[in-house]
Amino acid sequence: MAKIGIPRTLAYFLYYPLWKTFFEDLNHEIVISPPTTRAILDAGVKEAVNDACIPIKLYHGHVAYLADKADYIFCPRLVSVRKHGDFGTETFCPKFLGLPDMIRFGIDHLPEIIDTRVDLKKGKKELFNVFCEIGSQIGNTHEEIKRAFSKALKVQKQFDNLLYQEILPPEAMDIVFNHKPAQVSHDNCDLTIAIIGYPYVLYDSYINAGLIRLLEKENVKILTQDMLSDKTMNRQAKTLPKSLFWYFSNRAVYGGLHFMARPDVDGIIHVTAFACGPDSLVDRMVEIEARRRRGMPYLSIAVDEHTGEAGVRTRIEAFLDMLRYRRDKI
Amino acid sequence: MIKAYLGVDVGSVSTNLVILDANNQVIAGTYLRTNGKPIVVVQEGLHQIGQEISKDIEICGVGATGSARYLTSLIIGADIVKNEITAHAMAASTVIDDVKTIIEIGGQDSKIIIMRDGVVTDFAMNTVCAAGTGSFLDQQANRLCIPIEHFGDYALRAKTPVRIAGRCAVFAESDMIHKQQLGYNTEDIIAGLCEALVRNYMNNVGKGKDIKPPVIFQGGVAANQGLVRAFNKYLGVEVIVPEAYGIMGAIGAAMLARRASKKKGKTKFKGFNIQEIEFKTTSFECKGCSNACEVVQFFENEELAARWGDRCGRWELH
Amino acid sequence: MKISFPHMGYSYIAFKWLVENMGHECIVPPEPSSRTLDLGVRYAPEFACIPFKILLGTYLEVVEMGAEVIISSGGMGPCRAGYYWVMHKYLLEEAGKDVKVVAFELPRSDIMDFWKKLRWLRKTGGISVKEFIRVFKTAWNKIMVIDDVEMRSHEIRPYEIHRGDTTRGLWTALDMIDKANTLQEIQEARVEGLRQLNQIEQDRSRKPLKIGIIGEIYVVLEPAANHYIQIMLGEMGVQTDRSIYLTSYARKNTIVNLEGDVFEVAKPYLNEAPIGGHGVNSIGETILYAKHGFDGVVQLAPFACIPEIVAKSIIPTVSKDYSIPVLTLFIDEQTGKAGVQTRLEAFVDLLESRREVRERHERLVI
Repeated sequence: MAKIGIPRTLAYFLYYPLWKTFFEDLNHEIVISPPTTRAILDAGVKEAVNDACIPIKLYHGHVAYLADKADYIFCPRLVSVRKHGDFGTETFCPKFLGLPDMIRFGIDHLPEIIDTRVDLKKGKKELFNVFCEIGSQIGNTHEEIKRAFSKALKVQKQFDNLLYQEILPPEAMDIVFNHKPAQVSHDNCDLTIAIIGYPYVLYDSYINAGLIRLLEKENVKILTQDMLSDKTMNRQAKTLPKSLFWYFSNRAVYGGLHFMARPDVDGIIHVTAFACGPDSLVDRMVEIEARRRRGMPYLSIAVDEHTGEAGVRTRIEAFLDMLRYRRDKI
Repeated sequence: MIKAYLGVDVGSVSTNLVILDANNQVIAGTYLRTNGKPIVVVQEGLHQIGQEISKDIEICGVGATGSARYLTSLIIGADIVKNEITAHAMAASTVIDDVKTIIEIGGQDSKIIIMRDGVVTDFAMNTVCAAGTGSFLDQQANRLCIPIEHFGDYALRAKTPVRIAGRCAVFAESDMIHKQQLGYNTEDIIAGLCEALVRNYMNNVGKGKDIKPPVIFQGGVAANQGLVRAFNKYLGVEVIVPEAYGIMGAIGAAMLARRASKKKGKTKFKGFNIQEIEFKTTSFECKGCSNACEVVQFFENEELAARWGDRCGRWELH
Repeated sequence: MKISFPHMGYSYIAFKWLVENMGHECIVPPEPSSRTLDLGVRYAPEFACIPFKILLGTYLEVVEMGAEVIISSGGMGPCRAGYYWVMHKYLLEEAGKDVKVVAFELPRSDIMDFWKKLRWLRKTGGISVKEFIRVFKTAWNKIMVIDDVEMRSHEIRPYEIHRGDTTRGLWTALDMIDKANTLQEIQEARVEGLRQLNQIEQDRSRKPLKIGIIGEIYVVLEPAANHYIQIMLGEMGVQTDRSIYLTSYARKNTIVNLEGDVFEVAKPYLNEAPIGGHGVNSIGETILYAKHGFDGVVQLAPFACIPEIVAKSIIPTVSKDYSIPVLTLFIDEQTGKAGVQTRLEAFVDLLESRREVRERHERLVI
C-alpha cells in the first residue's frame, strides 16, 4: 500500500484512466493534485527553470503540491508511444524526455520518483513491460500486475471509445469513473469549431481561462484532435513535406489538417502555450496550411500565466462573430 | 596631503561619483542623471565634487565602472576599468565583512551577487525584461500620479497588499489598472506593486541562487521602504540597506582604484577641471575587409585619443 | 546552378570550394549581420530560436544575390533544427521567393534519398563520379585544416602582446586555405598558417584561465551569433576550448573526445539520451571540463532552445557537485554585445578570485 502522487497535468488528460485503474487495482492510494490553481501556477513559476514553457512550469507546480503528500511521484519518462514519423523516430518533446531529471534536481524534498521509461517504438506490447517495472518498484507481484494491467487497459479503452464519440476527456472521465450518463446535446449549436492543441492546454481550464466553457455557452459544438482515431489522423501525414518529431504536435497538426477538410467544421482554434518550442513551428505551419486549404478560418490563442478570461473572451467573441457574418453572407 | 581615491559609475540612468579616503570612508559623493549625455555629465560631476573637497586632498587613483565604463575611463583618466558586478560586490563587502547575498536594483537593470568568504561565487543579471527593475516602479508611479519618492511611505501604510500579476511590466500595468477599477485603495496597490517587483526579481535573476543571510540590498531603488519590506517578507530575513545604497558602484570603483594604484604607484587622473576640454566621439565603417567593422574614434580637443570597435586590431590606438 | 548554404563560422570557405568544384556557381552567404537578423525576425515565428531566424535571414539575403538552390541539413529530431528546412521552405514561399530548398537528411535515416540528392548535384554540375569523390575528399580536408588553425588561434590569443595579432594571423591562414586547391596545397597552407600563428609575439609568463564553451551547435560555431565570444574571452586573457567543431567526431585529441561516451558521463544527471540537439552533451561536457581542471564553463544557447533549457535546469547541480562555475548565456535578437561583455568580465573576475583563494589554500597546505 503506497500513496502514489499524480500531477493533474501533461499526459494526465489522456492516460489517467489507465494509471488510476492500475494503481487502484493494486490497492494503492492515488493522491492527485487538484485542478490548476493560482497557487499551483505560482509554485511552478518559482520552482521551474526560468526559461521553461508554461506547461513545464505547471508540471513543477503540481509536483511541488504533491511533494509532502505522497510516497511516490508518478512521473514516467515519456519517450515515445509508437514508431512514427519519416524515420520512425517520433518522440515526445525533449522537455518530456528530461522531465524526471528536471524535477529531481529542481524541486527540494521530493519523495521517490517513479520515472519508468516509456518507449513503445518496438510495439504496443512493450507497455506491459513498462507496467511490470512500475508495479515491481512499488512492491507488487507479477500476477497482481498482470491482472491490474489488463483491467486498466479495458478501462482506458472504454475511455478512448467515449472520446471517439466526440465526448471531451474531462466528461469522459466522469462517465468512466462516476458513471454519470453522457449529457452532451448539440441541438442548439449553430457552429462547429475544432480546437487543436496539447491536451494539457486544451483541458486545463485554469490555464486557458475556461475556453471550452466559453465556447459551449456560445452554442458551439466542439471537436478536438483527441476525438479522432489514430488511423484518421495519420492519413494526414502524407500531405506534409515531413512529419514533426513530437507526438503531441503531430496529433495537433494532423487533427488540424483533418478538420480543414471537413465540411461540417466552421473554423479552427489553435491553443498554443507560451514559450513552447514546438508550437513556434506548429502554429505558423497550420496557419499557412489553413489558408492554402480551403481558406479555413483560423484563430490562434496563446496562453500564459496571465491569460485572463477577458482577453480570451474578446478573441473568441470576435472570431465567432466573424464566422457567423461570413455564413450569413453566403 | 590626505590620500584619496575617486570612483565613477556611469550607467544608463544615473552617474555617480565618490571620493574615498584610505580607510574606505566616503569624503564626498555626487549623484547626477545621465540623460543620455555621459561625457558632459561626467565633466560636470567632476567639477562639482572637486569643489566640495578641501585642498589638501590628493587623488591617488581613479576607477571607472558602469555600462559607459570604457568611455568614462578615457574622459577622466582612470587607472582601472571594471564591470559593475565586481564593483558592487567590492563595495558591499565593506558594509558587512561576511555578506553572502547582494541584491542590486538599478533603473534599467538588476542583479544578484552571491558571495562566500569575501569572494563572488555566483551572479546573475536580468535579461531584457524590465519587470524586475526600477523603471517598472517609475512607470507605475507616473500612472498613479504619485512621486516615486513617496512610494515607500504609501506602501508602508498598506494593510493588505493587492496581488498584482505580471511577468512583464506591460501586463502588470494592465492588471494594476484592473485592480484600480475594482476599487482597491492606492496604498494596497502600491504595496502590491512592490511585492510584484520582488516576485519578478526572484523569479528572474534570483532563480536557483543560494540566497543566504546577511543580505544587502543596494542600488537607487533601495530607498523605497516598501520594497525593503517586500524583500523581508519574501526572503524571511531582514535585508540590510547600506547608508550609501545609491552610490555603491562608485564606491566599489574607488576601492578598486586604491588596489590598482598600489600596484602602479602613479595615477592617470586628469584632474577635476576638465570642462574646458572638448571630448567627442565619431565613427566610421572600416573598408579593410568584408567584416565592415564600425570603428569608434575618441577625440580630446580635436586630437585623436583612442579608437576601438575593430575586430582585427589594425585601428587600435592607446 | 547558383547554389548557396547556411553560414556557420569559417566553414563557408570549404563549402564554397566544394560547390564551385562540383561545377556550380556559388553564392557565398555573407557573415550574419544585423540586417540578416532583422530580415529573419521579420518573417520568422516569434518563438523560433535565433539559429532559425539567422538562417532564414541568410536565405533571404542569398536569394537577393541570385541563389537558385539552397542546400541545408535535416535531422530526425527531437530538436527543432531538423525541421527547419521545411519551415524555411514554407516561409520563403510565403515571402514570394523563388528558390529551391534541398535538405540532406542524415544518410543513416534515409540512405536512398541521400544518394539521390548527391547524384542530382553531381549530374547538374556535370562531373564524373571519380572527380566527385576527389572534390569531396578535398573539401573535407579543408574543413579539417580550418578547424586546426582556429583551434590553435584560441590557444595562442590569451598570450598575444598586441591585440589583434592572433585574429589577423588566423585570417591570413584562412586566406591561404581558401586559395589552396589540392590536398598538397591545403597541407602547405596548414603548416604555414600554424607557423605564422606560433610566431606571434607572445608573453608566455601569463597564466590564462581556462574556460570550456558548451551549448547548442549553431550559436557555438557561428561567432557572429555569439558576439565573437571566443575572441572576446581570448583578448581578456582567457584560453577557451570549444566542445563542438564540425570535424569533432573525426578527432581524438579534444577534451570532449578524450573520454569516450559523453552520454555515459551525463547519465547520473540525465538518464536519457539523446534528448535532441546538444542537451545531454552540455551536461556531460560540464563534467569533463571540470575533470580536466578547467576554471569555468560558458553555456551558449539560443533563447527558448528546448534541449538546452533541460540542460540548464540540471547544470546548477552538476556545477555544485563538481565545483565548477557555469555561466549560461541565452542569446536572442535582443542580446547586445555590451551585456555579453559585462557578464563575461564579471565571470572572469569570479574565476580569477576563486583561483587566488585556491592557490592561497594550496600554499597554506604546503
